[in-house]
Amino acid sequence: MQPVLSIQQISKSYGPIRALESVSFNVPEGSVFGILGPNGSGKTTLLGIVLDVLVANGGSYKWFDGMSADAARRQIGALLETPNFYHYLTAIENLEITAAIKERGHEDKLRVLELTGLLQRKDSKFLTYSLGMKQRLAIAAALLGNPKILVLDEPTNGLDPAGIAEIRELIVKLSNEGITVIMASHLLDEVEKVCTHVAILKRGNLLVTGHVDDVLHSEDQIEVRADDLKALQQLLTGMNGIKKIQPGSNTLLLSCDAAVQPAQINEYCMQGGIILTHLLLRKKSLESKFIELTN
Amino acid sequence: MQKLLSIEWLKLKNYRTFWILIALYVVLLPMLNYEIANSLGSFTFNGMSVFTKSYAFPDVWSNMGCLNSYFITFLAILVIIITTNEYSFKTNRQNIIDGWKRIDFLNAKVLLVVILSLLATVYFFILGSGFGLAYSGSANNLLSGYDKIFYFFLLSVNYLGFAMMIAMWIKRSGLAISLFLLYSIMIEGILQKILNWKLGSNYGDFLPLQSSDELLPFPMMKMAAHMMGANIQATVPQYFVIATILWCVVYYFICRSMLLRRDW
Repeated sequence: MQPVLSIQQISKSYGPIRALESVSFNVPEGSVFGILGPNGSGKTTLLGIVLDVLVANGGSYKWFDGMSADAARRQIGALLETPNFYHYLTAIENLEITAAIKERGHEDKLRVLELTGLLQRKDSKFLTYSLGMKQRLAIAAALLGNPKILVLDEPTNGLDPAGIAEIRELIVKLSNEGITVIMASHLLDEVEKVCTHVAILKRGNLLVTGHVDDVLHSEDQIEVRADDLKALQQLLTGMNGIKKIQPGSNTLLLSCDAAVQPAQINEYCMQGGIILTHLLLRKKSLESKFIELTN
Repeated sequence: MQKLLSIEWLKLKNYRTFWILIALYVVLLPMLNYEIANSLGSFTFNGMSVFTKSYAFPDVWSNMGCLNSYFITFLAILVIIITTNEYSFKTNRQNIIDGWKRIDFLNAKVLLVVILSLLATVYFFILGSGFGLAYSGSANNLLSGYDKIFYFFLLSVNYLGFAMMIAMWIKRSGLAISLFLLYSIMIEGILQKILNWKLGSNYGDFLPLQSSDELLPFPMMKMAAHMMGANIQATVPQYFVIATILWCVVYYFICRSMLLRRDW
């Protein structure tokens, strides 16, 4: 697939601090692309550069295979770092300015306000909005006029749990409609639930990028318990496909080959004369994978 | 160009501070002029009213022009507030994110400066015509001295452009306003004196704002001449027109290089 954004060896420093070091990757069309990294890893800096509010020290980027950058930005809905609006204007007046700059979406203002749950407050000044409402307005502005790409920097910042779930659903829905979503986040849970592709940054270096299943692939673990743990451990040591047995406080944690399923373990133990009181397949969490990658 | 202006208009049309400052300018300016015109009229020298001609054609243009040029500071502060607002709301960033080129942001503000200057000049023309008619009783000579109207426009672009540059450089309204006032009221005057004294010529008169002030000089000199009964038409060296235009171009390019190179 054609990349909608291609980043080539972008570097950026703030004085002596190297914020990005020669970062390159492509964002495929139609993907939900997560840019992941701990605080200060350069996520926002990278998005700032491709949106032209920050100036890179080196490298280049291309939107839509070389469309002029400002024309490309008019096709993109973006939320960078904070919701930026004229404090003294109402939501609807602010969106009018956004639409005027984008040269599209004038007839779309009420729809996006409705979509983000702000319709009733459309005539309130931005100044009077709560943090979560400001964030919602920023998302509304990004959605204005059906952009081909959405760039969302920490989109669920400041939202309540219901709001977070709504945004997540919205992202999945838009992605199903064919919109490419580029999202920076340090909330792994968020990325795990919606992203198809990821790039992981750490202190300005790109650690890994690719399809989420490839990057975050990891073997599963199986947790078992029986009345006699010692006997269980002895029995399982003899089973094929089990690579490692970690005794826990009252369970055993098994690292197995991909072929080994819980049912086989259950069967094996039965045949060995031990009845399991507990059997649990544990997906290795993205969080532990992430910590493993970034440490 | 029209697009940029219409977007600037969207930003301003519901901004109360904008309308308050404009209203102050529109109301205070004729009041002050009226006050001065009246008190000048009652000022006598050896039993003769000497300043009655100050608000008659053609002197009204130079006298009012000088007085009104101090009021441009109102509009300069307005320009600073409007520009620094963009930085404090980070809407400068958002404008770019939404699809402006960086230079669009500058050009929109330059257009605002030019339009405000045009409006101020039109208002100057209206007030000047009104006072001139009232104090000379006829419209003869209405347009003699019209060059002052043009000078007023140049001066206005110069002051507002300078204010815009300070705002883009400093980004914070309080600091930018203080620096602008400090420079225009004190620093430039001192620099001018030092330069003129050190270099033994009038080079100091060519400092950024001073080069425009020279176009509409303080009318005391002429008043004194009137007192003696002389009628000297002060000439303005065209050098100051050129200097003013050059300074405006310099502001533009300074802003341009700041905006294109810096992180936003």
